[in-house]
Amino acid sequence: MKLRTRQNDELIFELTERERSCLVNVLGLYPLTPPAHYQLSRNQCVPEPEEAQKLLDEAMAEQRAGHRKALDEFLNSSTRFSRAGRKVLFTLSDPEADFLLQVLNDIRVGSWISIGSPVELPPIPTPGNIRGISIMEIAGFFEGNILAALTSG
Amino acid sequence: MAEIAEPQVLPGSVESVKDKTDSKIDPGYLVICWNDPVNYMEYVTHVFQRVFGWNRQKADFHMLEVHEQGKSVLARESLEKAEHYVHQLQKFSLHATLERDE
Repeated sequence: MKLRTRQNDELIFELTERERSCLVNVLGLYPLTPPAHYQLSRNQCVPEPEEAQKLLDEAMAEQRAGHRKALDEFLNSSTRFSRAGRKVLFTLSDPEADFLLQVLNDIRVGSWISIGSPVELPPIPTPGNIRGISIMEIAGFFEGNILAALTSG
Repeated sequence: MAEIAEPQVLPGSVESVKDKTDSKIDPGYLVICWNDPVNYMEYVTHVFQRVFGWNRQKADFHMLEVHEQGKSVLARESLEKAEHYVHQLQKFSLHATLERDE
């Protein structure tokens, strides 16, 4: 994955076909972070903690449903991927890049939780965690490239 | 130039309203971001800039505080605003909570 151009708030990346396939497949896993992961407070300091937590849960559920729908539209856009010889051009606007970062990070965090939230990253692969590690690293690969492109000036 | 007259407050007449809304307007809630090993430092900076509208330097400062000290107090706000910020940060999958400022 390589940034080809950035102009008029639009990013164009060059992907290999393998990278395009990885991106589409990893995005298909959204959402991955379990809803119970999100807690409003550590010490229940708000006046009505259950009600406040319920509001957070509803806000997160609403965002996930909206993002899932937006993700399908995003991937099905006719201008999203185009051919340039053996490469694939992947085009996204700045707001779309922001949206994609949220989605990729949910997948990365969710896969990290699925392998037991290890403190040391990357953890030593085992048959039980290899899938989660792979998903986490693939999501992280795209996330890192998009972040670098956004901050490249 | 005319001054705006300050409203007169009769003793005891406002307390009941104040009590009801105190927790909503009392700026005694801290928005805290906690360290975790999975979120990229660059991503955390990006999110702080988006959610709080901070410049790069300020966002970097708080990101490094999270990274090096385990947490950073990002804002001290009323309950309502603190909840709003925590919702926004969690929508980006950051580990953020609100706590009472004791």
